[in-house]
This record gives sequence, C-alpha cells and structure tokens, in this order.
Amino acid sequence: MKLYCLSGHPTLPCNVLKFKSTTIMLDCGLDTTSVLNFLPLPLVHSPRLSKLPGWVSKDGSANLQKELKECAGRVFVDSQPEFCLPERELLDLSTIDVILISNYHCMMALPYITEHTGFTGTVYATEPTLTIGRLFMEELVNFMERVPKAQSATCWKNKEMQRMLPGPLKDVVDVWAWKRSYSIQEVNSALSKVQLVGYSQKVELFGAVQVSPLSSGYSLGSSNWIIQSHHEKVSYVSGSSLLTTHPQPMDQSSLKNSDVLILTGLTQMPTANPDGMLGEFCSNLAMTIRAGGNVLVPCYSSGVIYDLLECLYQFIDSANLGTTPFYFISPVANSSLEFSQIFAEWLCHNKQSKVYLPEPPFPHAELIQTNKLKHYPSIHGDFSSEFRQPCVVFTGHPSLRFGDVVHFMELWGKSSINTIIFTEPDFSYLDALAPYQPLAMKCVYCPIDTRLNFHQVSKLLKEVQPLHVVCPEQYTQPPLTQSHRSDLMLELQPPPMPYRRCSVLNLPHRRRYERVYILPELANSLVPSEIKPGVSLATVSAVLHSKDNKHTLQLVPKPPPVAPSKKRKRVLEEPPAVLAPKTLLSGAVPLEAFLATLQNHGFTEVKVEETADGHILHLQAEDTLIQLEEDGTHIVCDNNEPLRTTLRDLVLRFLQKL
Amino acid sequence: MDRECALLLPGVCAVLAGSGSSLPDDTSLEKLLDWFTGITEDGGSLLETCPCLLKLISTVVHNAASDPGVLSFTLRLTGLLAATEESFKTIQEHPVLNKVFNLQHWQEAGLWEDPCLRIGWIQGLRSMLQHPKALSFFVQSGFIDPLLQLQTDTSLFIAEAANQMLAHILLFFQPVPPAGCKGMDKKEKGDGMTPSSADYTAVVKSISGYLKESLVPKESKNVRQSLQTLKLLALLLAQAGPPLRDKLLQTVGDSLEELVTAGSSELTLPLMDVILSACSSSGTDERITRLLSSMLNINKPADLIHAAAAFLRRGHHDTVHTARAVRILLLPLDIMTGQTLLGTISTADEHQFSVVEQLKSKSSCISMICVCLSNTPQITLTPPDVLPCLPVSIVTAVLSLLRICSGNSPSSSTGCSEVSRNVIGSSKVQKCALEALTTLTSSPGAKERISEVFTVLIQYLENPDSDPTVLHKSYQALLKWTSVCTDFSFITDQLRHDLVEVVKKRVCDMRWEVKDSTVEFLGHLAGVCDSIKAAAEERDASEALLGDCSTTPLLREALQDSESYVRASAISALAKTLTHRWQQGATLTEEEPEIVSRLLEILSQDSEGFPRRAVVQYFISWYSSHSPPSSSSSSSSSSSSSLLMQSVRSVLSQGRADLDWEVKVHTLVLAELLLDEAFSGHPGYKKGSDSHHASPHAYGVVSEQAYTLHTHTATHTEGAESDLAVVVEQGVVSVLLSGLVDCDRPVALKACRLLITLRETVCPLSLGALDASAAMATVSCELPGCGWGREILKILKMKKSDQAKEEDIADQSGLNGAEEGGDSVCVSVCEALRSLGLDERMEVLTQSSDHIHNSPLSLLQDILTASATHTKPGEEVIVDCY
Repeated sequence: MKLYCLSGHPTLPCNVLKFKSTTIMLDCGLDTTSVLNFLPLPLVHSPRLSKLPGWVSKDGSANLQKELKECAGRVFVDSQPEFCLPERELLDLSTIDVILISNYHCMMALPYITEHTGFTGTVYATEPTLTIGRLFMEELVNFMERVPKAQSATCWKNKEMQRMLPGPLKDVVDVWAWKRSYSIQEVNSALSKVQLVGYSQKVELFGAVQVSPLSSGYSLGSSNWIIQSHHEKVSYVSGSSLLTTHPQPMDQSSLKNSDVLILTGLTQMPTANPDGMLGEFCSNLAMTIRAGGNVLVPCYSSGVIYDLLECLYQFIDSANLGTTPFYFISPVANSSLEFSQIFAEWLCHNKQSKVYLPEPPFPHAELIQTNKLKHYPSIHGDFSSEFRQPCVVFTGHPSLRFGDVVHFMELWGKSSINTIIFTEPDFSYLDALAPYQPLAMKCVYCPIDTRLNFHQVSKLLKEVQPLHVVCPEQYTQPPLTQSHRSDLMLELQPPPMPYRRCSVLNLPHRRRYERVYILPELANSLVPSEIKPGVSLATVSAVLHSKDNKHTLQLVPKPPPVAPSKKRKRVLEEPPAVLAPKTLLSGAVPLEAFLATLQNHGFTEVKVEETADGHILHLQAEDTLIQLEEDGTHIVCDNNEPLRTTLRDLVLRFLQKL
Repeated sequence: MDRECALLLPGVCAVLAGSGSSLPDDTSLEKLLDWFTGITEDGGSLLETCPCLLKLISTVVHNAASDPGVLSFTLRLTGLLAATEESFKTIQEHPVLNKVFNLQHWQEAGLWEDPCLRIGWIQGLRSMLQHPKALSFFVQSGFIDPLLQLQTDTSLFIAEAANQMLAHILLFFQPVPPAGCKGMDKKEKGDGMTPSSADYTAVVKSISGYLKESLVPKESKNVRQSLQTLKLLALLLAQAGPPLRDKLLQTVGDSLEELVTAGSSELTLPLMDVILSACSSSGTDERITRLLSSMLNINKPADLIHAAAAFLRRGHHDTVHTARAVRILLLPLDIMTGQTLLGTISTADEHQFSVVEQLKSKSSCISMICVCLSNTPQITLTPPDVLPCLPVSIVTAVLSLLRICSGNSPSSSTGCSEVSRNVIGSSKVQKCALEALTTLTSSPGAKERISEVFTVLIQYLENPDSDPTVLHKSYQALLKWTSVCTDFSFITDQLRHDLVEVVKKRVCDMRWEVKDSTVEFLGHLAGVCDSIKAAAEERDASEALLGDCSTTPLLREALQDSESYVRASAISALAKTLTHRWQQGATLTEEEPEIVSRLLEILSQDSEGFPRRAVVQYFISWYSSHSPPSSSSSSSSSSSSSLLMQSVRSVLSQGRADLDWEVKVHTLVLAELLLDEAFSGHPGYKKGSDSHHASPHAYGVVSEQAYTLHTHTATHTEGAESDLAVVVEQGVVSVLLSGLVDCDRPVALKACRLLITLRETVCPLSLGALDASAAMATVSCELPGCGWGREILKILKMKKSDQAKEEDIADQSGLNGAEEGGDSVCVSVCEALRSLGLDERMEVLTQSSDHIHNSPLSLLQDILTASATHTKPGEEVIVDCY
C-alpha cells in the first residue's frame, strides 16, 4: 500500500493511494495562494493600478518593467493570475482509476488532471459537491475571462531572473508548473466524468475494493471516504466538522477499526474559535454600520456565507440594522442561494425538517423576500442603479486579486469609516491587502474555519482507534508562530506518519489475507479431518480462477473423453493418470517417546545431539542419522532401504495424516 | 398569652392528643412550638398558664397510635417545659418525664426508626439541658451512649443535631465560665447552677473517651464517623475554656497525630480545622504546633494546598508556618508561569516534582491553580519577611498566568509547557485570575505594574473567545485598577485607541450579557471619574482612558437595544455620565433633549419594568444633582432647567400610572425631591421624613452622595401656599394621592408618609398655624372622575359622613370647596389632607400584610377548624400554606 502526496497544502490535498490493484486519487485541491503574487484584476479601469511603476533591479541588470510592477514596496506580477497545481511528475496520472472528491473546495484542480494527463477513469462525488463545485469553477472562469489580459508574463519565471527578484517572488518554487485558469469547456468536460454517489453508497472498484462516502459535516455534500477490501480498511478524512451548522452531521462511527486513516483538512485557524469569530464578525459589522461606514466581506459564494447570513438574520434586529441593505454579488450568487435550499437530504436534521414545512431551510430566503438581502451577478447592470450606502457587500474572490471585490477595494479603501472583514481562512489577510496599500479602510480578520481542531481530532481518533494515522507534516508540530502551544499539534501513539509534497509513503500496513471463493460442488467433495479440537483440515485440489479481482476455486475439469484416434499415437495420447495426492502430515515428533519406540525396535545405541532447529539422532550401530526439525525430518542412511522404511514408519506413527 | 388563646388552647391540645393527622399544614406544629418558645423566652411559665399541655404530653406519650410528628412535637415541648429548674421539678413529679425520653419505650414501640422522633428526642433534651438538674437526669438515665450513637445517624440532620448537643453539654456546663468563651449565652447560668461535678465529670469522661476512640477510622468505611468527630472537636476546641480544652487535647492528642500521619485526603480539611481551632485557643502548645507543621508537610500536593489555604484563611500570625503556607501556595504559580516566586528552589525538590506531576492532569491542575490564585491577594499582604519574593512579582505572575490562559504568552516566558497547556482557554482559571487581579490592587507596589495590567485586560476584552463572565470580570478589574490609579501618564495612545475600539465593538456584541457589562462599565467609569475629580485630579479617568471618544453616542445607541437589561443599564450609565455636567450646571447639549424624549418614550411604551424604573431614576439623579437656575445663570442653563421641569412633570404623570410598583415608588421618590425643594425653607417641613429611601437597586442611578440641599430661592413672603400651589401644579399632589390608594403596600406606605409630612407642613393642627391654614385652604387640586380620583373621593365622602353622623349634622352639601363638575372634581388640598385619615391608614400600612394571619390566635383557630372539617368524611381540605 503506497501513498503519493501531490500537494503539500494540508487543506487542499491531492494524494494518490495505491491499494490492492487500484490507483485512487483522493481529492484534487488547487492551491490558489499563488495568485497573491499577482496584481489584482480590476473590473473598472483603475488609474492607480495602471500607473504603477515597472520593476527594474537596483543595478539595472534586470529589467522586467512589463511583467512586474511595484506597489507599496512589493513587487507583483502583472499578468493573468496563475495557480499552483498538484505535482504531476511523481507518477503517471493516466494510471489513475478513480478520483474521490471530499468537498467542493477540494476539486478545483480537477480539469487540470482529467483533461491533459490521459486520465480515463471516473470521478466520484456527491451531488451538492458537484453542483457547488461547478459553481465555483464557473465563477473562477468568469472572473478571469471577463478581464482578459493581453499578455502573460513568463520572463520572470526564468531561473536566472527569478534569483534576482525581491521578496516573496524570489522564494516561490516550481513557478514553471503554475498554470492559468482553465476554460469553461475544460470544466464541462472534466465534470462530465463525475459519477454521483450518496452517503454510505458502496461503489465497487474492479471487485478489488469498495469505496463509500460518509458525511463529514463540513459543507453541503462534503464527505469522508472509506476504502475497504475484505480484510483491510483505509479511511480518508478530509475537511470535517463537528459543529452543528447547516450540513448533515459528521458520521464518526463508520470510521472505526481502520487500518490506516489518512487525515487532512483540519482547521487552518486552530486558535480562532468559530463561535467567537462569528461574534466578532457581527459586532464589527454593526459597529461600522452605526458609524455610517460600509462593510466589505470577501468570501466564497457558498459555505460559510450561509452561516453568516443566518447569523446576521438573527442579529439584524437586535442590533438595529433592519434598514441596512445586504448585497451578495457573484456570477453564481443566485444559483448558490437557490441550490442551498433544495439539497434537503444533505442538510442537518433541523434544517431537513423545515423542508417539509412550507418554509425554506435557510433564513436567507426570508432576507431576500423582505428585500434585506439582494443578490446580483456583478457590479454592472441592476446593481449600480439600486446600490445604496451604508451597506454590507458579500463578494469574491477572498484573495482580493480578481472578482467584484477588487472594485469595492478601490471604491472604499480610501475611507477609514469603511471596514473589510475577512472571514475565509484560506489567505493571509496581510498578503491579500498588500497591493492596496496604503489603505485607510479598517480591516478586521475573523477567519471562520469550522473544520476539526486539534482537540476535537484527538478525541475523534481516540474513539475510532485507527492502527496508523497519516497526516500532513504541518500537523505534527505546533504552528511556527506559536511554538509554545503544544496543544496545537497531533500527539498520538504510535506517532502519525507525516507527509509533504512529493512524499511517497509506504504505508505500514501489510496485507495478509485474501478472500477466495469455493464452489459448492467442490466444497462438497472435501473431507475434513480434525487435527485438534475445533480445527479441521482438508486438502483440496482445484483450479484457481481469477477475474475482476475475484478469486474462485473451481473443480478440476475432467479431461475430455478422448476420441479414438490412430493407434500409433495411442501411447502418447493416454491421459496421464491422475495421481492420488499424497497424504499430508502434521504434528511434531516427541523426542522421548520416539527414543522409546526406537529402543523397542532394537535401536539401542542412539546418540542425541541438540541443534539449532531440533535434534539429530545418531544410530551408531546402523550408522544412520535422523534429523528431527520443526518442519522436516530427514533420515540419512546408506543404501539401506528396508532400514529407512522402518525408520520412516516409526516416525510416521507420531504424525497425523490428512 | 392573651385570654382568647388561653381559652382555645385546651381545645387544640385535645385535637393534637386525638390525632395529629388533621392538622391544617405540616408547619403548624413548628409554628406552635415557636410561639411557646417565644412565651418561655419572655419569662412566662407555660406550665402555670397552660396546665393542659402537661395533660397533652401524658396522653400522647401513652397513646401508641400517636402520629410521629405529634410525638416529636411532644418531646420537644416537654424539653421546653422543663427548661427551668423550677418547672423541671414540677414535671418530675409527674411520671411523664421518664416516659417521654425513655428510649427503650420508643424502641419497643418501633417508633425509634422514624427520624422525626429521633430528632425530637435530641431537640427536647437540648432545650431541657439548661440547668444542673437536667444534667443529672440526663446522666442518670444513661442517655449519653445513645446520643453518641446518634452522632453517626443515617440522617444528616440528626447527626448534626447530636453533634451540636454534645458540644452544648460540654460547653454549657463547664465548671468555670471561660473568659474567651464566645457566643454562649450565660445569663441563665446564675449561682448555684454549677452541676454536681460528678455528673459533669462523667459526661466529659464518656465523651472524650468516645472522641479518642472514634477519631481514627478503623476501616476506610468509617470515615464518616471520623468526619463527624472532627467537626465536634473543632466546635469544642473553638469555645472550650482552658481546663476542658486541655483535657480534650490530652485525650485526643495521640489520635490526632495518628490521623495526621495517615494523611487521608477526605479528612485533611476537617483535621486542619481542628488543629487551627486548637491553635487559636491554646496559643503555643508545642504538640499542636508540631501537628500543624506536619499538616503543612503532607505528601499529597492537592491536600497540602488546601491545608495551606485553610491556614492562611484563619489569619494566623505565626511566621514559620505562614512562610511555609505561602511557599506551598505559590509553588504551582511558580511552576506554571516560570516566574521565580520562590527564589531558587533548594528544598523539597521531590515535593516540586510531585506537584508538577499533579499539575499535568487537567482537572487537578485547574483546581489547584484556582486555590492558589484566590489566595494570592492575601499572600501579598503578609509581612515582607515571610514572603519569598516581592509582592509585585506575584502580580506579575498572575498577569503571566492570564496571558497563558488566553494563549497569548510568548513561549520564552512560560514555565512548564506540559502544565500550562492545561489552562489554555479555561474560563474558570481566567475568572479566578481576574478576581485575584482585582483584589491585588491593594497589594504593596502593585501600581508599578498598572500599565501591564491594562494591556492584559484590554487583550482579554479583545479576545473573541472570552466568555461573557470573563469579560465582565475584566471590566470590573479595569474599573478597580482605574479607581486606585492616581497617575494616568502610562496610558499610551495605542492603549487608549485599543480600549476605545474594543469598547465600541463590545457594545455591538451578539451576546446581551456582554453589551450589558460594557454599558455598565461605561457608567461606572463615569462614576470613577467623578470620585477622582473630587480628589482634585486634573485629568479625569474617562478622558485618560477613552481619550476624546464620547461615550454618549454609544449609550444612546444602547437605548434602542432589544434586551431590556441593556436598555436599563444604558439609562443608568447615561445618568452617571451626565451627572457631572448637571452638577456643574453646564449648558444643554444638542443631544440631551433627544435623550430625554427617548427616555420619556421608554417610560411610556417599554414593555419591561427595568428600563422604566431606570428612567425614573435617571430623572431622580438629574433632579437631585442639577443646580437650580440662579439669576446669574445663562439662558442655556435655564433651558436645561426648564427641560428638566417639563420632563419631570411628564415623568410624574407617567410614573404614577405605571403598572410596576417599583416604578411607582421611584416616582414617589422624585415627588419627594420636589417637595423637598418646595418646602425646604419652610419652618415646619421635615426633610427626609421618609427614612426609607428606595433601596439601592442594581440599576439604581441615584448618586451615592446625599441629595444636595438647594437653597430655596423664592421669597418667603408669599408663604407656603404659593409653594403648595406650585407643587400641585407640578402634579406632585396627584402622585401622592394616587399612591395612597395604590394596591401595592410599599407604594401606599411611601405616599402616606409623604402626605403626612405635607400635612404637617402646610396645615398643621396647631392654633398658631390657623391663619396660615386658612390661606392654604384656597389651594385646591383636581381629582379625575375615575380611577384613583374616585377612590380618594370615596374616602373623603365616607369620612365626611362619619363625621356628620357623629356630630349629628346631616350636611350633605359636599366637602368644603369640593365642586362636583363633570368628570373631574376639585378639592381643597388642606381639607383633603386632614380628612383622609392618614394616621390610621399609616398604622394599617406599617403592619405587614399577613399580620392577621400570622397571629397565634389564628394558628390555634386554624388547627381547630381543620380538625372540625376533617371529621366530616369525604371532604378534603386543601390549605394553602402561603
């Protein structure tokens, strides 16, 4: 069993598991933090961004004025943003049989894998994962394509050149592997390979293993996966949550008794408790609105936003925000809000029950009905005419490099009465804000990450008791900035196996059993004999038939009746006589009793010698050796067949025959 | 005992003797006993006044079918009757005494199993054992052994009562009244009360023998007996005189030593109690000192910490042991924070090791640290030669513990990381540490750390994961430290900015408790400023802490809050914030009229009582702290005054009609202030006649200083009638009159008191004042034709007609000056004041509302009635005990 780790990002994993005869890719996360090195893509012409000076090295030796721009003391690439893909050289991706997706955040690299690597397999995901994942991809493509860049910068990637660059750009690795966004055709083609599954549904892979998704409680349709054969069980735990937010609660019990548990997607903010952050979000929002400012919330178009809206729904009245408009701007805003209401079976019990009432499960429906929440595909069109301040705007992308959020940053950044509240944990807010400096706008960082924290995960592991745990190396030590917080790491016995990008782990589990079926007719012919109480053995002669990883013992085919043929070949064509199988022996020869027997039979001069494996009996008179070992007995005598036979029979007396 | 009761009592006795099951409720026997006890304590002799009681006793005791409750009552009654030597003799003449307390009798009757009877037995004997004769009886009857057995009774109440009783016997009959004897009433113990020494010696002997035997648990299951015995011993040692004490110590000394050596966790604290009691009474007994030393050296860290804490709580001044206890209590803090509080730890490394081991377990770590923390303030106050470090280092240690708890500690400064991870995020430890920090303000040198304290507290306020109670405690600590601070120069702009931001944020919190604490904090901070101003501090605290950020807009916003507590807190905080301006007679700000109109809106519309009460109190504090317009005051100041008067008028009329009685009482307080101002110059006016000011309420905004005396500016030439006219015009009289007929007693009482004061002032019944009252009679007020107006009118008419009947003059032409016109009626104020019968009303009102139902007479009647009803079959009596 081997694990190939194609991504080093603990929450955007991409691992390949080779298990029995299958090759399974676990998630297909796209590391988007690389976009922070690029300049934002403004929706509306931005004089500030267009006037940024180009970068020239101090000694003038490197001139990348066209590709790199300086902004607030940092250098950014002026090009279409690019993403850091999962490693593609570690193994031949065309050999992958299936891809299992755990949630919509972890499938963004799918088109890169399915479209250009010769992949011919199937992708498995739940319906909400596919639907919302599609929304995310469409949104990404839309964000990129509506602000086309004429050129793409490549010179800076030159190794010689990169070495001279300042700041973070100098240190980024594998820049040649960075890729621009995919197209909508690629998205469609990739998603056409997705096969939908439901929770606990069992999918057979080539008869070798069975995979099955379990609810992970993190987002709509998010799942952990169980991969099992008859005798082995591997659990793949990706983003999971024990909090009671909107998704169906996490199924923990099915993870029990795993041989190996691959653990990814823990919270990225172990010190920020989601409840506290939600409170922080609300109070900062209220504080800004009361002071007459606007609030900008850069966020993804699905996920935490549902919880934020629900929380605000309750908070609005108590904080006297009833008249403040809330805007949700995204190319997929409408679909996201509507889809969330129809995925009844994927919701938590509380919300599920609402589906059967004439009441939508999420309160954002009511916010929309009462005109408190309005959604628009973009800042253009209706929005510009209905826009009223002070207001709260939810829009993407959380990296602040593309999407409608760029426009609001330019619009509101100069005034200190406005506030930007970061709720998504994926990007460092300081890096996100770098190209907007100097910024007068107030900035509040309250990342809401509902995934398991270390406390919860150690409790979970204590309960499900996996034999071995595999996790990203980041989880095996305290965070760099808080080296004293020994409570923020995984401490297990035995210690977890850490992995990093490009690791290939030999999982410690050794396969010991394989299930083989036996046909009834064959079974009928067996004659078991009891060798010790409760244990019976029988010999079997059969033909092993293997197909689709299923092994069956079948009767040995009778030789076809031989057609009479020419006489001269008769001798040759005589079917070889089926030899009666020799009886099998079992048991051990007890030394004392054997010696006594020898004595009885007249072998008196016996010298016993102890060896590493047993004993050597030297019959001096006969000049014969008997080697008694654990798994064999040898009688060495010179050309005295009667003596050998006698001795053999004496030995056999002590052994059981089958 | 009055005649009526004495007549009823035999009947009641008969009922009780018959069967107890027909009692109106299960408290009636207790009430009856209380009544008898009262009579005895007043010196009355029950035996003489009610011979029927003796008969009752003998009947009940001989009736095997008596109810256990009644039996228990009888036992206690017997004890009560035999409490004096004289009556004891009388009772002894009857054969009942032996029978009543005869254990064997009760055991044979199978009644001893009932705890009711057992406790009756103990309490009966306890009441009786007030004189030597009783002791002799007690000893001769051989009651001491059964009593000792009851000490470990299955019922906790009985066990406790037995313990008390044992202590009582030993202490009460001590041969020489000890000089330091506390809490014992010795007045009954006259000459000749000394018991025969033989009896007492016997008692002492058996009890101390028992103590010695039962102190050390024979098996682990007997711990309960040891616990009880230790409790008894602590009781005895704390109050015993020297001979008894020495005797006791001598007897139990060995057992105590054995217990200390055994070191049972369960017994640590009670054992410590005993040793400390012995210490405090015996001074420097060597053996006790040695025991104490061993207690402070036991091996189990958790027990040791509790023992040390108990030692410090007792406030001993023994240097060696105090130093030891302090070291014990500081060690966990030292380990956790890495602050060297104990210097280099040279001794007891093994002990430190075991403490560290203990601290590694989460639950014991939290409880140990909390004990240490709650003792830190006291530790800092111990003499410097006892402390292993400067008091200020303890403050530093608490601060770093607070940082560790919030996960903010830089790794270099923490102690053992395996230990400190146990407290990260624990709100219990956080609360404990914040409480300690609040109290540490009084520690010597603490102020050196004030800047650090503020930084940590602001961090706590900022922390999104802080529990509401943690935030509340942080605010309290901040206030306390602000109030002791004399120099605010340490407050940097950054600190100020952080505090302002966090307060602004917390006012918008999702949790109402947090909003409430924040708003409250702002109010208290304004209060702190005032007290600092009084100390002639140039820059006030609020300004120093919050810079030029005005809190008023935040508080005004909070007036709109959806939670009533927050609204109420905001109102009181606003009052506190503005008090200073009012006192200075500052000009009206733009926002004040808006605030006032919002407050009046709350008073008239808010569905919850708290904010409405707070509104009335807001105006009370405004009224009592505003300076009345003087001739030199600017027009703006008078506009403030006129706004006040205008709103006070609406407050009076709204408050009067409120449904909440507290609002009404507050309204009356406001009315009283108006009366004070109107009549303070008048010779007959007694200010503050109502000594019962509204009790301070959580949301009370009345400033702590006494109401300022305003010089009465109007000229006195016009006399009191113009003042009265003013008061009537302000609506004060209407408030008082409507209050008088209010169905809530506190309201009516307050109104009645004020009306009497008013009457004494404006129309005193003295000859010299006749002229004045004649003039006064012209002032009239209007009574509405419905509601309270009609009630008042009814009273007036009734009084009038009574008078008329008595004087035989059928003058029904109506009250003097009262003209019935349409809906409302005008009455002369003076006339009304005189004819309302205020004095009789006052008398009724001052009695508690259940005075009739609580009298012994009614109790006796109840019992009789209940039995009468009960005899009718098939009828169930449901009696409401309340």
